[in-house]
Amino acid sequence: MILPDDFVFTQSNLQDYLDCPYRFYLRHIRHTRWPALVVDDAVAFEERGQIGARFHRLLQQYLLEVPETRLTDLAAADPSPDVLNWWQDFLINVPPWLSGIRWVEATLHAQLAGFHLAAKYDLVLAQPPDGLVIFDWKTSKKRPRKEWLLNRVQTRIYRFILCKSGSALLKNATVEPEQITMQYWYAAFPTAPISLPYDARAHEKDQAFFTRLVNEIGSRKADSFFRTEETRHCRFCVYRSHCDRGTQAGDLAAFEDEELENETDLQDLDFEAIEEIEF
Amino acid sequence: MLPTSEQQALIEHPISSKVFLQGLAGTGKTTAGALWLQKLILSGIPPHQILVWTPQRALAQPYLDALRQMDQPVFSLLNTITLGGLARRMVDLFWPAVSRVVGVANPDLPPHFLTLETAQYYMAHVVHPLIVHEGLFSSLTINRNRIYSQILDNLNKAAIVGFPHHEIGDRLKSAWIGDVEQIHIYDDVQVCVNHFRSFCLAHNLLDFSLQVEIFLQHLWPSALCQGYLTRTYRHLIIDNIEEDPPVAHDILRTWLPEFDSALIIFDENAGYRYFLGADVESAYTLHRSCSEMVHFSDNQVQSLPITHIQSGISRAIASLNRKPEPSADLMPEDIRAGLETPGEKIKYFPAMVDWVADRIRTLIDAGVPPGEIVVLAPFMPDVLHFSLANQLDALGIPHRAHRPSRSLREEPATQTLLTLAAVTHPDWNLLPKRINLAFALMQAVNGLDLVRSQLLTAYTYKEFAKENAFPLQPFEVVPPATRDRITYRVGERYDRLVSWLHSASQEDPQTLDFFLNRLFGEVLSQPGFGFHNNLESGNTIATLIESIQKFRWAVGAQIGPEPFTIGKEYLQMVQDGVIAASYMHSWEQPDEDAVFLSPAYTFLISNRPVDYQFWLDIGSPSWYQRLDQPLTQPYVLSRNWQEGDLWDAEDELSAAFDSLHRLSLGLLNRCRKKVFLGMSELDVRGYENRGLLIRIFQQVFQQAQKGAA
Repeated sequence: MILPDDFVFTQSNLQDYLDCPYRFYLRHIRHTRWPALVVDDAVAFEERGQIGARFHRLLQQYLLEVPETRLTDLAAADPSPDVLNWWQDFLINVPPWLSGIRWVEATLHAQLAGFHLAAKYDLVLAQPPDGLVIFDWKTSKKRPRKEWLLNRVQTRIYRFILCKSGSALLKNATVEPEQITMQYWYAAFPTAPISLPYDARAHEKDQAFFTRLVNEIGSRKADSFFRTEETRHCRFCVYRSHCDRGTQAGDLAAFEDEELENETDLQDLDFEAIEEIEF
Repeated sequence: MLPTSEQQALIEHPISSKVFLQGLAGTGKTTAGALWLQKLILSGIPPHQILVWTPQRALAQPYLDALRQMDQPVFSLLNTITLGGLARRMVDLFWPAVSRVVGVANPDLPPHFLTLETAQYYMAHVVHPLIVHEGLFSSLTINRNRIYSQILDNLNKAAIVGFPHHEIGDRLKSAWIGDVEQIHIYDDVQVCVNHFRSFCLAHNLLDFSLQVEIFLQHLWPSALCQGYLTRTYRHLIIDNIEEDPPVAHDILRTWLPEFDSALIIFDENAGYRYFLGADVESAYTLHRSCSEMVHFSDNQVQSLPITHIQSGISRAIASLNRKPEPSADLMPEDIRAGLETPGEKIKYFPAMVDWVADRIRTLIDAGVPPGEIVVLAPFMPDVLHFSLANQLDALGIPHRAHRPSRSLREEPATQTLLTLAAVTHPDWNLLPKRINLAFALMQAVNGLDLVRSQLLTAYTYKEFAKENAFPLQPFEVVPPATRDRITYRVGERYDRLVSWLHSASQEDPQTLDFFLNRLFGEVLSQPGFGFHNNLESGNTIATLIESIQKFRWAVGAQIGPEPFTIGKEYLQMVQDGVIAASYMHSWEQPDEDAVFLSPAYTFLISNRPVDYQFWLDIGSPSWYQRLDQPLTQPYVLSRNWQEGDLWDAEDELSAAFDSLHRLSLGLLNRCRKKVFLGMSELDVRGYENRGLLIRIFQQVFQQAQKGAA
């Protein structure tokens, strides 16, 4: 096994593996950074990512009870008008759903087949009598289909880990799958959140799926992380030149058509990985 | 490994305890801390409620390892933090709540957090005109980058010691007893500090000092921030508290009553980061906030000979410092077992390096793992590192280095990218010298060696091109005979590169980082070019691009009003040495089983004992002398400095002895078996050095002889 003992599976590295085992190997095992572009319009891509990050930060601050008026001031001063629009839509639509005990930016950890899994949640809400709602804020321009979201690694691993490890939040009370709902809120579609309740059957399927997946990854040798045959993934993969799979990055519109998201930074598990100056 | 009796006694304390644990390095305190962590988790406390606080993030690693090594499932993750990390996180999170009272010009806009690089850049931007136009620091003949970094150092000290930044100059002046010129220098320091702080506030720029000040003065006292922290973290483990600055202790002193449990670990005879504000006295006062005090005294590391040598060194330092101590139990057999010097006097430095490499080889041949060997010097300059690395490479011995301020601009891969960027932007007026371009092309194009690259550029490069003309000509301008020599295959690659660069030069201006992303992805990492499949260079270039990106984000539109190109500015700053001293990511330095080449203080801070240590250049005064820093003074800017006192030669000598005592004893606390003393009559620069450390070891040898008698 070439995975280090301390390796933690997350939605983003598992998605990388499913897209291309070799990409997973380069990025997460070899830690190879390959400084090519993800999409052609790097400026717009970066800007969208930063706008999304600023909006996420506003919501986090709101949930931590920073005065709403100050947050509105910041939203109004934001160089992107999207932020104020999303913020106003958020204030109109979302707060009524947020009653209950909140865990903001909570990270949960689970063990599966001897491997570590973790998920970082925008918000977990405990609602009476025993419901647990996972909120995830999205700033992408398109709202995907419910079926697509149901099969997404993020949906599956977030609900699965909360079921397995939610007891850490609930003073060791066990969590049943039926208690859990995953709620995606798309800022561009503020009145139509997508609600994905969990159940025992889905949990069993997820257990089998993730067990197989982590065992498969864990048993691979360095030379058996093959390049994907789905070459469409290579358009948006920075390693494309290393793999001789193209010269130029794919275009931003196609990236969005594929329902991909520019939010990897937000899903970074290590809250401390922010630039920190050790004086 | 089973806990020692002292560790066992500690973890038998109830989990609601607040314990102050002290002891020398090597007595197993951190291991006890890790056991304490496991005990908390086994009692049902979720890891996310536990805060592990250390002066540097790397020092929290044993706790993260302990969490992973637990047999029972763990449902959340541990939080590790440093003072700097806490300040940065809280300012980022609660900025809107305080931005109107911290004095920034645009409180409704988010702050820009400065890195070490970008803070240095802005300091240069603010101070350079003051030097040039107003004659500040006119009596100083040091590199300007050192001026900038020492002013920043002063600001940071004010923040972490906890005094107003506008008192820096007066504090420095009040302790000075030399010529009046130095007083003017301190006045100039204060002028620069004031200008820099005003500039930062005017542009929402938060350097380290401002982050810490905002946290301490506005966030920590607020119910919002303190409530968040006290609700989130219920249990505290602090390690190496003596390496933290006093404001960290102030926070912890008020925070401690709120925790359900706490373990504070204090390393006796340490405080190695005093030049970075570490305050041992202040740290020790935290014991008053704890209900229990525990002392560890059983050294788990040292062999008896090392313990005796340590006593001998302590006695020798005391004797030289005219504070004699009772004689130590040092015998010749201790020296034989615990110390080794070259059999014959070594005159020149390279021969000493040979001796070191030879002894390392002997150890490894005898079965010592390379990871159990460290080679230490007061500093690890390139020439020393290069000599050692070459020798070890020749012997096939794995080694690794930790040189915190490794500069990216020294890397061939980054030089190549920046040179090609300069060529593509002739309007920046930063065209490289022909030899530098030849070197870059040699790196960039497969099949091109330096001789042929020079031939190529002799014909194709118009170093003094007029009117911003693109300075590279196609391969066809090279005479046929020379083309044959370079080869057409290489020429075709060269043309592809030049054609790409030429097209890029015709496009609308793009940011330097994205330009380099494209250059790398579309050309240089493609087959036939130098970085194709070169994963190491990919990492290096990624770090460069990240540095440029952060520079762009931080600089943005702050600098005006004249037309301004961030890419040009970055390149200029790199050439001037102001920036691009980026740190390599920790994961690029794998913790392999390799001989560790390190500055002595870096090794100390890493808190990791080894079997064998090599101390090089022991004649050097750098083992104990302060760095020459005419713009700052760590002792005077510490909280322990008494207002009205004067810093004189006696203080300097006393500080040197204190420093040497702490350093040498700290190193020996982290040595299990033996120290090899690398001595040569002439040091790496050819100077004869007879510093204190040599005299101390001479006394140690004499003590052993007396012991035998």
